[in-house]
Amino acid sequence: MGVIALDRLEVRLGGRTVLNGLTGELRGRAIGLLGPNGAGKSTLINTLLGFHEPSAGGAKVLGLDVRTDRMRIRESVGYMPENDSFIGNMNGVRFVRYMAELAGLPPAAALERAHEALFYVGLGEVRYRKIRTYSLGMKQLIKLAQALAHGPKLLILDEPTNGLDPMARQRMVQLIKEVRKEGSMHMLISSHLLRDIDETCDEVLILNKGRIAAISNIEEERRSHRNFIEMEMTGSTEAFAEKMRALGCECASFAGGRVKVVMPDALSARDLYVTAAETGVEIRRIQQRRDSLEDIFLRAMEYEGGRVEHVSLPA
Amino acid sequence: MNAATDTIRFENVSKFYGEVLGVNRITLRLEPGVTTLVGPNGSGKTTLMNLMTGLVQPSRGEVSVLGLKPSNATEFFCNVGYCAQFDSFPRGLTGFQFVLDSLMLFGMSDEDAHGLAVEALERVQLDAAAAHRKIAGYSKGMRQKVRLAQAVAHHPRVLVLDEPLNGLDPMARAESLALFQELGRQGMHVVISSHILDEVDRVSDRVVLITGGYLIAQGNIHEVRQEVRDKPMQLLVRCDSPELLASKMFAVNHCVEARLHADGRGVFVRTGDVDQFYRILNEIAVEGLVKIEAVAPFDDNANAIYQYLIGSEGGTV
Amino acid sequence: MSVFLHDYRPYDGVTTSLWRRPLVLARYGMAEAWGSKITTILFIAALLPCVVELVMIYLADNPVARMLVLRGSPVLVINESFFVNVLETQCWFALVLAAWIAPRLVSFDLGDNALPILLSHPISRFGYVLGKFIALAWSLSYVTWMPVLVLLVYQCYASPEPWAMAHLGLAFGIVVGSLLWIVVLALIGLAVSSWVKWRVIATGAMFAVVFVPAGVGGITDAILRTHWGLLLNVPVVMTEIWRRLLGAPPLMSPQLELPNTAMAVVLLLAGLACIAVLNARIRAREVVRG
Repeated sequence: MGVIALDRLEVRLGGRTVLNGLTGELRGRAIGLLGPNGAGKSTLINTLLGFHEPSAGGAKVLGLDVRTDRMRIRESVGYMPENDSFIGNMNGVRFVRYMAELAGLPPAAALERAHEALFYVGLGEVRYRKIRTYSLGMKQLIKLAQALAHGPKLLILDEPTNGLDPMARQRMVQLIKEVRKEGSMHMLISSHLLRDIDETCDEVLILNKGRIAAISNIEEERRSHRNFIEMEMTGSTEAFAEKMRALGCECASFAGGRVKVVMPDALSARDLYVTAAETGVEIRRIQQRRDSLEDIFLRAMEYEGGRVEHVSLPA
Repeated sequence: MNAATDTIRFENVSKFYGEVLGVNRITLRLEPGVTTLVGPNGSGKTTLMNLMTGLVQPSRGEVSVLGLKPSNATEFFCNVGYCAQFDSFPRGLTGFQFVLDSLMLFGMSDEDAHGLAVEALERVQLDAAAAHRKIAGYSKGMRQKVRLAQAVAHHPRVLVLDEPLNGLDPMARAESLALFQELGRQGMHVVISSHILDEVDRVSDRVVLITGGYLIAQGNIHEVRQEVRDKPMQLLVRCDSPELLASKMFAVNHCVEARLHADGRGVFVRTGDVDQFYRILNEIAVEGLVKIEAVAPFDDNANAIYQYLIGSEGGTV
Repeated sequence: MSVFLHDYRPYDGVTTSLWRRPLVLARYGMAEAWGSKITTILFIAALLPCVVELVMIYLADNPVARMLVLRGSPVLVINESFFVNVLETQCWFALVLAAWIAPRLVSFDLGDNALPILLSHPISRFGYVLGKFIALAWSLSYVTWMPVLVLLVYQCYASPEPWAMAHLGLAFGIVVGSLLWIVVLALIGLAVSSWVKWRVIATGAMFAVVFVPAGVGGITDAILRTHWGLLLNVPVVMTEIWRRLLGAPPLMSPQLELPNTAMAVVLLLAGLACIAVLNARIRAREVVRG
């Protein structure tokens, strides 16, 4: 059973068709949602939450139909919206408690879970202050706390690191990774920062102009492409490149001592070092280039009109 | 080239809002090119930018931008473009009208303003059709683009941008960064404030770190890194037997600290002498007892500098 | 010694049933509404007339006391008209209370854009409005039919038997009349608060919504020389309804009399207008056209 299953989903808003026939199934533990502005990411999230009615087709979240099982879906989902969304007059504990009770927890359990969630995200004494006095980082954390408090099965995070300074952003990414490791929740993370998605997600859904541009499993991508190697070295890169080509590799050298190599299976990294010693260069940096998320994304964008491209899909 | 007319200067500038500290005793000289302001929220970045664009006056000290003083308003504002962080627009305008109106404030003729507005919107890659829709219906990224267009439209020599990539999708980010780099190369002063440090790395010529209203560091990333003397250089070596590698490094006495990576397939090495280290590493690799998969400097970037200098005490809770 | 790790743990306890969720809203709404000192002050002020009326009832039923206090002033009769006046007074206080409380219930949520987070929980838009409505209605009940019924009960106790028997219908009239007013007030209150951004303006707008149509109605009456403009005059309409429910004699001359159906229609239309406003404003996401 997939986490999110889309079946020719079509959503029209304000006279425009925003989502145009989305079909696909997502199963990952943490699913990244990417796409240029206006691609329909927010609309998709809103439709899954039941804020918009599909005009055609359907969608299922955790096996529940978006049209008929709205309330049950909302019971199993925790949502962290992108924009400011809170009740300024309440303090942190009260707000999280309120949300937990709305999700169905009895009052005593709600209070306990609220404090647990606040402790987990790292809001200390601040939880007793009114939310309108919070800084941006704290507001993001309180949104996350209220999404976690009732123990949802799917966590939807919309731009969780928005506006956070580097340390807070690192903490947030760390939290997301911990939640993912804990294992009881799936996550759908929408972000513009490819690096965050790369670090936390194992599957991505890329939207473009209301259609699916790609569904891709990042883990699989990482495991392939072992033999593309990028290096930085001091010394004469040309001689090095010559030698490598003689050994049967494709090799290209660039300015600044950068060299890219595609090696046949028979060779290993040691051979690079041996060749380097022979040609009198010193390798300073060496890494296997994996098909990073950026490449997947750019490739997906190149398909005009949004043909569905399954880069690789788990069986 | 007269130095004064080519730099942005802050001489011992302080700014207080009543009792509240904005910035305290900042002395800076910014050359043309791309400069990034980095620091936690509330550290004084916005104050610094407001001082640069003449929106606030310093409580003490002097600000001079390209030799001009903010008090000389007409000339000053023709040369400075500002893209603020805040997301509000006058009601009922379309994107095009907003940029056009901002241009008209400079007193140019209708056709000139029209032409410049079209050019600016093209530069930020805002769709022509979308430009004539009301801003109220724009997505966050489109609003960001309109603000950017308004800042560059009048071809200023100094461009001050407060978190300009906020809300932009990956392609728009890459395009904007390329635009900033291009403008920097053309000799403009481009001052950007950003939290996304790997982008900072890619684009900036220099970095200004600020926290709690104080200037902590400024200069090129690598220079700053070298100056942080009490922290030796750290590298990550991924290999199949990290313990063996670590023991070899210790044996040749060039390794200050070695720490195994959590997944057991790499080791973080700190070394005081980078050149020697690489030579020894190459030798070990050739020897073949340790299969080396990847080598990369781990802290020669903005993120590491940020950690060292600002760290978690710098950001307040 | 043991080390305790406090990691995230999923929730596997009982959950409350779906229909109770609006009650959660109502409970928190009540806390919001009554958390302010001004609410308490208004509440106390609203009950002061009841105290006065209590004394009046006591005097009316106690000839000895009356003799001592009033020394033969005109007779105080406790009848339908008396209770209509009591109800009227309380209901106008209810208007003031509603004008203060309704913005507190809704504007806090709307002002900080809490609706997306609220509606992402298992509660529908109707459930949301229902919860707020219950909180508001309950608060208003504290100053309308509850104290008036208490007065009625006291009167039944204090006066001789036949009075109670003869006037039992008053209880029905009081409750229904109050509830009708509460429903109208609550709908107007919630609609106005959801429309207007700032609480103070919402409070003022509530009074405007109640009294401005009255002025308009009066003007049209004067120009067109009819009495139908009175239908827009909420105070007059409500007083008429209360008089009829409680069985008191009408105030106006027969040719100015307003038919029941007309009044019912007016109130229904007002209610529907409020519901339309709520439908438009209580949304998780706004769709901007063009």
